[in-house]
Amino acid sequence: MKLWYSFTKELNLSAKSWYFYIEMGMAVVLLLILIFLVPEKFENRSSEYLYLDLPKVVKDQYREALLEKDLDESSEWVEVKANKKNYRAELYETDESKIYLLENMEALNAFSGSERVPTVHVHVNKDSQIIHTYYLQGYETQKLKNLLLVFHNQKAELDVIDEYSDNIVVRSIYQNIEPLSDRQNLIPVFLTFNGSLMSLFIISAYIFLDKNEGIIKAYAVTASSVWHYLLSKIGVILLTSIATTLIITIPVMGFQPDYLTMILFLITSGFFAASLGLYITSFYKDIIQAFGALYIVIVIMIMPNISYFTPSWDPDWIKIIPSYIMLQSFKEIISINGNIDYVRVASLGFAVLGLDIFVLANYRFKKTLTL
Amino acid sequence: MIKVKNLYHSYSNDESYAVNDISFEIEKGEIFGFLGPSGAGKSTTQNILTGLLQLQKGEVEVAGFDVKHIKNKMFNKIGMSFEQSNVYNKMSGLENLEFYRKLFDVKTREPMELIKMVGLDGKEKIKAGKYSKGMKHRLTFARSMINNPEIWFLDEPTTGLDPAIAANIKDIIKEENRKGVTVFLTTHNMFIADELCDRVAFIVDGKIRLIDSPKELKLRYGEKLVEVEYFRNGELLKDRFSTVVEEEKNQLIEVIKKNNVQTMHTKEATLEEIFIKVTGRGLV
Repeated sequence: MKLWYSFTKELNLSAKSWYFYIEMGMAVVLLLILIFLVPEKFENRSSEYLYLDLPKVVKDQYREALLEKDLDESSEWVEVKANKKNYRAELYETDESKIYLLENMEALNAFSGSERVPTVHVHVNKDSQIIHTYYLQGYETQKLKNLLLVFHNQKAELDVIDEYSDNIVVRSIYQNIEPLSDRQNLIPVFLTFNGSLMSLFIISAYIFLDKNEGIIKAYAVTASSVWHYLLSKIGVILLTSIATTLIITIPVMGFQPDYLTMILFLITSGFFAASLGLYITSFYKDIIQAFGALYIVIVIMIMPNISYFTPSWDPDWIKIIPSYIMLQSFKEIISINGNIDYVRVASLGFAVLGLDIFVLANYRFKKTLTL
Repeated sequence: MIKVKNLYHSYSNDESYAVNDISFEIEKGEIFGFLGPSGAGKSTTQNILTGLLQLQKGEVEVAGFDVKHIKNKMFNKIGMSFEQSNVYNKMSGLENLEFYRKLFDVKTREPMELIKMVGLDGKEKIKAGKYSKGMKHRLTFARSMINNPEIWFLDEPTTGLDPAIAANIKDIIKEENRKGVTVFLTTHNMFIADELCDRVAFIVDGKIRLIDSPKELKLRYGEKLVEVEYFRNGELLKDRFSTVVEEEKNQLIEVIKKNNVQTMHTKEATLEEIFIKVTGRGLV
């Protein structure tokens, strides 16, 4: 009962504090960013600028080839700006790129020289061969240069890998999985940091605030246990993180995610993070002293984001950082036919680890709570 | 009710002790004053006795509980009023007391009764954050009584209060003591100690220099003199007479009989003077 009284008191105090409303407000801000600023699909098509310095017949052949690949099989005339001057260009839009056919060499030079974009001058040499002259900017990778070589070898029918690549069989191991949209793909990041990991910092702030006001001392001379005090604070933080998570997720994902599993995971991962925060806090007298340790934890926890957005960089050591598991778990939860077993195992792991750390933190707080 | 034997405490975990080998016992129903200047070790001792600081070395028993292996049940029997007010500012005075009463396993007092007792009635629904410093102090004081403590730890209970309220607080302490509550009073205010305490301990640099009743101390350290101011032939005179030397006792009687006495004071020592005499230190 004492735990319940402490919890309801913390809830009451939380509802009276600005911080609670800031958290809720931030969740709404994140939601608005997701809905209005983050597109469903990021624009990742490259822009290519070409000048076809070719006889009309050849130029028309080029145009026909481009029209075949164009999304609406038609081109449009647009004005593009380079070096503070407007140039006319014919725009073709394909799945992979936006191709601008410029009208003259001056326009090509303007784009190459002042806009720092790669350009291509297609012309005919004295032997009537079609030459592609690329004006690269120096930042292009060797991979791109190799791809251009392969592409032109193919054109010249000198390709040696065509036969090999045509025979590669691609099979999908997981069936019935739909990739998340770019907007949905951001949700795990928001949930990990605004939901689970925020508990780590908020609990520190709460404890140091109570220490400053001497409230902990008053609590310590009652017949209630220290762990009641600590757990009631964690309880309020978890409740807040569930609320903020639902604010962000429901409008974007609807009722497609497995919310029960999501709440279970939020509770266990949040409990783990809050216990870790408590344990760190127990070593310091005030938040200024604790900030160094908290900062290191923040930096470590941010690192898995790199791997999340750049899947090709996924070393083993990063997989043991808790935020990596949180990111992957939230991704599985919101994905159609996501791997819920992975999430359940992760939940169990966080619960067990969180409990161990909580016991340690409680032991330390008995010694240091009133210092 | 309280037994302390060879108590030491070091904040730096070395030989530099904030409390250095102190021993004392407090009987049930006693008001025991722990007097000393700032940094003398008063609060450290009190914090160890109330479990706020971990016992490092020595033996401490409070209300029959060994403080080395502190149990939650002990806190049902003790109350603690802090020098610095520490109440929930976002809760009203009444809500503060209502919450704290739920944290004990024993019959608690009605919050409104305590609020009235310390003169906060009519303001019980105002958030404690809007209370003045003195009001918060009174709320902290009232809270320490919520569980009907057998041992009551009071840390500077009248500091910062105006004289009328301080007198009210002293009356409450006396009344609770009459009911049998043992009081451990930490203060550097010698007047309140003199007025309330059955016994006092002088602590300086972590060591207890002396323990005795204020009355005994005054007898032991005070001068047995009476100072009299009187008019003789229109002239104001001032004389001192011993209260133990027979001849001077008779002279005093003669002065009283034959002259117009203006003022007459015994030269009994104050606790503060005794403290300075014993410890060689002031109280600030």
